[in-house]
Amino acid sequence: MSARPAPRPDVRLDDGGMEPVTCGSCAARVEVRKSSWDQTSIQWHADALGACLERRASQQGTGPNGAAFVGCSALHLAIREAAVRGELPVQSGEPLPVNPEGNAP
Amino acid sequence: MTEVDEVRRIETDAAPTRFARGWHCLGLAKDFRDGKPHQVKAFGQELVVFAGEDGKLNVLDAFCRHMGGNLSQGTIKGNEIACPFHDWRWGGDGRCKAIPYARRVPLRARTASWPTLEQDQLLFVWNDPQGNPPPADVTIPVIEGATRDDWTDWVWYTTVIEGAQCREIVDNVVDMAHFFYVHYSFPTYFKNVFEGHTAHQFQNGVGREDTRPQATVSGAPKMLGNTSVAAYHGPSFMIDDLTYHYDDGDVDSVLINCHYPVSENSFVLQYGIIVQKAAHLADPEAMARKMGDYIKIGFEQDVTIWKSKARIDNPLLCEEDGPVYQLRRWYEQFYVDVEDVTDEMTERFEFEIDTTRPNEAWRAEVKANIAAREAATASS
Repeated sequence: MSARPAPRPDVRLDDGGMEPVTCGSCAARVEVRKSSWDQTSIQWHADALGACLERRASQQGTGPNGAAFVGCSALHLAIREAAVRGELPVQSGEPLPVNPEGNAP
Repeated sequence: MTEVDEVRRIETDAAPTRFARGWHCLGLAKDFRDGKPHQVKAFGQELVVFAGEDGKLNVLDAFCRHMGGNLSQGTIKGNEIACPFHDWRWGGDGRCKAIPYARRVPLRARTASWPTLEQDQLLFVWNDPQGNPPPADVTIPVIEGATRDDWTDWVWYTTVIEGAQCREIVDNVVDMAHFFYVHYSFPTYFKNVFEGHTAHQFQNGVGREDTRPQATVSGAPKMLGNTSVAAYHGPSFMIDDLTYHYDDGDVDSVLINCHYPVSENSFVLQYGIIVQKAAHLADPEAMARKMGDYIKIGFEQDVTIWKSKARIDNPLLCEEDGPVYQLRRWYEQFYVDVEDVTDEMTERFEFEIDTTRPNEAWRAEVKANIAAREAATASS
């Protein structure tokens, strides 16, 4: 069976592709794209998933969808730091929003 | 130079000619337990569903291998379905068990049978174009509330959709903006995670004062918002763990959104809801029906759109749209042979939408709708 056309890549990648980011906690390497400060796409691979400490420590949650691993907070932080340092492009080009509450970004 | 002004063309690949590998829910198990065989059109074929005396639900190809009689017009005798044409008896395993007028059953008297699963009052059937049995790790999670006394029974809806391929409904799981425009909800947080054979959607929302005004009766609880964790477990069965937050307490519910293909261009859409009988709920059954009827409006509007829309394989997306392309890459795993499933289709992918701009626009629209309605009321 090979007659099926391959699904196309996301059209939005034409404006900027996925970039590698390494987690500061476990050194898992993933590919990331941020279209804005609050949008994030993360492509994991088997080795990164195997390395992720939070993933390994995650417990079965409640409810029928409780097996889901929502995401890794350490990786989330690493991605944010990479964006703040300018190593990971933020496609919108907007400056880092200032938080009026005064919390650390 | 001319490139920027070029008209964008819609690209349409051929719809798949096979049907997805996976568990498909056929509906409420009790509906098949009325002592009669049931005809079900699914996966481009005619099936017969019947419950034997032992209570087990079976799914066979509808046509008798003897002279082609339609078993769904037959009679259940013991644990077998008897053909209306010559009374040949077929067991749930697909084997001919007896021919009352024959000395013995001929060799190779075996018809197609589908693996079934009965769980949480629902009947599932396993489809695999390659004919393999369901792997042990490809399962549908148990929905605890479905068998508990402190939850309502299923309020269940079934509708046949002609003129649309079932990818349209699966696209919904990533399509945040359509939840506002078609389903009248107001997402404030939206994230998808695809991994293995599951596709999750984490969504929080608030109420829509323009489409679903708060109850005005004094003392009626005020709806504050909702939290939803929804997931496709395989190609067709989505469980939505949905909690509505009211100022007098939470209302927990489970919403099912599932389908099975009838042909390459039609499918049966089913959805159902159960609600926890929380102490502060006066009438949980009525609550389930009310929620179901509201969900029904959204799906009916979906259907109208599906029937008139183009199948599109190169959607033009803005940054506030969800991961449509990556969802389709995930969905593809169910349409290729199991040995052709690639890492790309199943590896974990996360996509969190920035809801800032959509929420600004939607707040303004809700406000305008309310103002327009008040103006219309004042002038009438």
